[in-house]
Amino acid sequence: MTTHHHSDSSELSAEAMNEYVSVRIGDQLFGAPVDQIREVFAPQSVTHVPLAPDEVAGLLNLRGRIVTAIDARRRLGLTPREKTETGMALGVERGNEIFGLIVDSVGEVLRRPRAELEPVPAHVDARWRSMVKGVHRLEKELLAVLDVSAVIGTAARKNEAA
Amino acid sequence: MDDLISEFLTETAESLDVIDTELVRFENNPDDRAILDNIFRLLHTVKGTCGFLGLPRLEAVAHAGETLLGKFRDGELTVSPPMVTLVLQAIDQIKVLLEALEATGQEPAGEDAELIARLEDAAMGRLEDTADEAEAATPENWDNDLGRELRPGEVSLADLEAAFQNADVDADSDPAAQETPAAAEVEHLGAGDFDPELGRELRPGEVSAAELEAAFMSAEVDPANDPNAGKESLITADMSKEEALQTAVAQLKGSEDAGAGEGGPRVQQTVRVTVDVLEGLMTTVSELVLTRNQLMQTIRGMEDDELKGPLQRLSAVTGELQDGVMKTRMQPIGDAWRKLPRIVRDVSTDLGKKIELVMEGQDTELDRQVLELIKDPLTHMVRNSADHGLETPAERAKAGKPEKGTIKLAAYHEGGHIIISIADDGKGLDTRRIGEKALEKGLTTHEELERMTDAQIHRFIFSAGFSTAAKVTNLSGRGVGMDVVRTNIEQIGGVIDVSSTTGRGSHFSIKIPLTLAIVSALIVGCDEQRFAIPQLAVRELVRVGAGSEHTVEKLHGARVMRLRDRLMPIVDLHDVLGVGEAYGGGEDEAAFVVVLDAGGRNVGLVVDNVLDTEEIVVKPLSESLRNVSAYSGATILGDGSVIMILDPNGLAGEIVSALEEDAAYDLSSATVTELDQQTQRLLLVRAGGEEPKAVPLALVTRLEEFDPATIETTNGRQVVQYRGRLMPIVPLSSEIRSVEGQRQPVLVFAENHTAIGLAVDQIVDVVEERVDLQMSSDKQGVIGSAIIKGKATDVVDIAWYLDQSRAGDIQRRSTSRRRKVLLVDADAFARRMIAPLLAAAGYDVTPAGGLHEVKVIAEAGETFDALVGDPGGIDRIRKEGFWPDLPALGVTDWPDDTPADGLTAVLPRSDRGALIAALDQFSHEEKVA
Repeated sequence: MTTHHHSDSSELSAEAMNEYVSVRIGDQLFGAPVDQIREVFAPQSVTHVPLAPDEVAGLLNLRGRIVTAIDARRRLGLTPREKTETGMALGVERGNEIFGLIVDSVGEVLRRPRAELEPVPAHVDARWRSMVKGVHRLEKELLAVLDVSAVIGTAARKNEAA
Repeated sequence: MDDLISEFLTETAESLDVIDTELVRFENNPDDRAILDNIFRLLHTVKGTCGFLGLPRLEAVAHAGETLLGKFRDGELTVSPPMVTLVLQAIDQIKVLLEALEATGQEPAGEDAELIARLEDAAMGRLEDTADEAEAATPENWDNDLGRELRPGEVSLADLEAAFQNADVDADSDPAAQETPAAAEVEHLGAGDFDPELGRELRPGEVSAAELEAAFMSAEVDPANDPNAGKESLITADMSKEEALQTAVAQLKGSEDAGAGEGGPRVQQTVRVTVDVLEGLMTTVSELVLTRNQLMQTIRGMEDDELKGPLQRLSAVTGELQDGVMKTRMQPIGDAWRKLPRIVRDVSTDLGKKIELVMEGQDTELDRQVLELIKDPLTHMVRNSADHGLETPAERAKAGKPEKGTIKLAAYHEGGHIIISIADDGKGLDTRRIGEKALEKGLTTHEELERMTDAQIHRFIFSAGFSTAAKVTNLSGRGVGMDVVRTNIEQIGGVIDVSSTTGRGSHFSIKIPLTLAIVSALIVGCDEQRFAIPQLAVRELVRVGAGSEHTVEKLHGARVMRLRDRLMPIVDLHDVLGVGEAYGGGEDEAAFVVVLDAGGRNVGLVVDNVLDTEEIVVKPLSESLRNVSAYSGATILGDGSVIMILDPNGLAGEIVSALEEDAAYDLSSATVTELDQQTQRLLLVRAGGEEPKAVPLALVTRLEEFDPATIETTNGRQVVQYRGRLMPIVPLSSEIRSVEGQRQPVLVFAENHTAIGLAVDQIVDVVEERVDLQMSSDKQGVIGSAIIKGKATDVVDIAWYLDQSRAGDIQRRSTSRRRKVLLVDADAFARRMIAPLLAAAGYDVTPAGGLHEVKVIAEAGETFDALVGDPGGIDRIRKEGFWPDLPALGVTDWPDDTPADGLTAVLPRSDRGALIAALDQFSHEEKVA
């Protein structure tokens, strides 16, 4: 699933590099900035929360802490996962809360030169543009850099407005 | 921010709160030296620390306040409310400056010359005369202004300040030096009783405080002036400084008040820990508890003795740890009350009222989180009591009450909860005004209002939207923002209620959980999922369907359940959450109804099953879930799974509009007394005397008030035009005693499409009580007497009065034979009420309380013309096969909701006329047939 990339080497200086956890959501490869991810875990026994906003996949117990699982597919407006697919979760801490961003799968950590980050093309869907900070051109495909706060945060804000 | 500054802020805030309270105490007890000493010491510590930290503006205000206090100490000035107000203003100014300091880390620019000038003027006995002393005098030239020889105390004060400065410099320049002088001093004092340990602990400020005490005490010893000379003579002017200091410290140690102030020597060792640390600790311990539970559950099935020992130990230690951590979160409720004396004092000064604030149970501890949340509501309520509840001294004197009003605040533990009560002896809630307002706000209708008791009307003050900010000031009664108070209290799972007696005062009581962190919860199942419901909200559990006597019925689509002669609204959790299939109510379909106390109402919640009760740790919800009103939080169960905690109030919100009409009704039954079949709702009235008379509310159709002028006399009978007809009115006492300009209260009884009024002097109240009726036959119009609200009260024989009203009517046709009726009702009171009614209508009544009695009667071969009674009782008789062919009339409070199976007719208990008409009809028909 993950893209191996030869430029993931040390020939470029560390300051100019961005590090991403590569994840797949639907058909698209995304990168979540490493410094924003607390941990990666396999979500187990997610409790469905009736009446919750769509993007809230449920709650789960992560070593005694309650994690709100956010379904990335729903946030990005993609078709929902099959019930049988549990996916993987990126643990993100915001304030005192931990969120689990549920993605299809998690690949390796990618390092890309900061200078190569390109803005999101203007004709991309507005919802995506609000959650994608930029794009890296990899050899075989594009890596969309996730704005993790936007994916988690707007969930809360949007819900508040509702 | 500088650590030193933030420490100073915390400590000073506490000291200032104590000063506030103590000043109010002092104002009332101006001769109490101990209080003044404490205030003085606290303020001095504040001043000293300000100087130490280089906060000149704060120091100047504190100094001016201290100077004025010094005059009280010296007996040069007598304490008066304006003086105390002035000192309190100084304290307020210090608080303002501290707030700015906290916000910016800097003392705000500017000066407080005007305030200081007033303080100084006051200190010189020129309180009112501020004009000619407009120039702000600095502390330094104050002595010159005084224009007389400095007293020893003042000199010492100045000296002392200098000493502080020196000490500060030492401490700043050489940390090691800090120890040395103190140690040296201890050494020096070591010859006496001075506690060396204490000496080591004293910070520079504290030493100087003691020194100041000593200095002042030596200054005070002027037996002619000092009323407490005997007490203070421990220190004499000719004592050496060391001796004086030593004595002073010993005194401080001995005095209880010394411990209360931050400036006093610390007898108890404490460590300041931030709340975050405690919260973190609590979370960790909660997790430990859950893990322990998980482990215990896993091990339960195993036969591994080796594991059992250590595990039990682990379990015990975890429990202890949990208790310990819980304790760190506990705070005395007095902390939340600390600001109240000051608030009450300010209100009383502003409004010219005399108010005494009595506080009981300050030491009652509760979780600091809960404490934080109730602080504002409590303050609000006490302010309300002082502001609106209590009258002015003139009004009180006129009402024959002591001029000084009392507000009593009490807290105590009761079964895992804390009860806080706020009572005042003021004028009570203005029932009429509240009723009008409730009508105005569309919270009720005229008809409903007329049937409501005072207590029910009072509860409108808690209704959402009852008070609006714009109207706060012109509401002459109480209830300002009480809906907000209620919401706040309900948010922490608490309950609030009010009782009020006109002219006697009002009493609010709040019941809140000890802690929010761990609650006992009922775990219920719904559509393969589990949910927790806080036990506090659960009144009872009822099984429905599949052989249970309870069923969920539908009333025009709305679900209801009969629970002890009441209809209770039912919501299905499936519907609320939009999951699974709602309970269909089929014969073989079983479910549980959890009877919830939701905002004072009984609401039944249908769930699939009830699984367990568990102590759960409440975890807050993430923002994205917080506004789903159905949940109040989430928790992790012993098996590690996460479940949602249902919020009873939120659930009730789902059906709240439908319930609004029933609210007051349900609330009263819920709070006045536990639901009980044996209790009766009685209307207490006054007629022809002071002692109350009781009328069973179920028999009364309506309460009306008429203008006495509209009551006419025709043919020697009094009548009034009512709903297009003439309604006869009979006085409950010997005559109708109308008061000019006051409306005449009348109890209206529906009687076969006509109405009859019973005139009373005053409607007093509705009570719900277990009535033990003592029959008596000697008084006409009285069925008997019962003890109601602790008083012997006559229970009115309505039938007798109704017959009176018909005195001029065509007599009931006489019957050739008195027909016999078997009256079945499990409720003794109901039997006693209905029996005379039927007897008066010409029936021979045999009352029976239960199946056993019925059997005895049946076996004796008795025959009857009809069965009358509660539908359940008749049903059981029918099942036994007794008197199968008799007409049976069911009498119930809920005729519309009683299936008529096996009953000839179902009649409302309140409609005596209909009952007798039906009885006449059916018993006659049966005979003819």
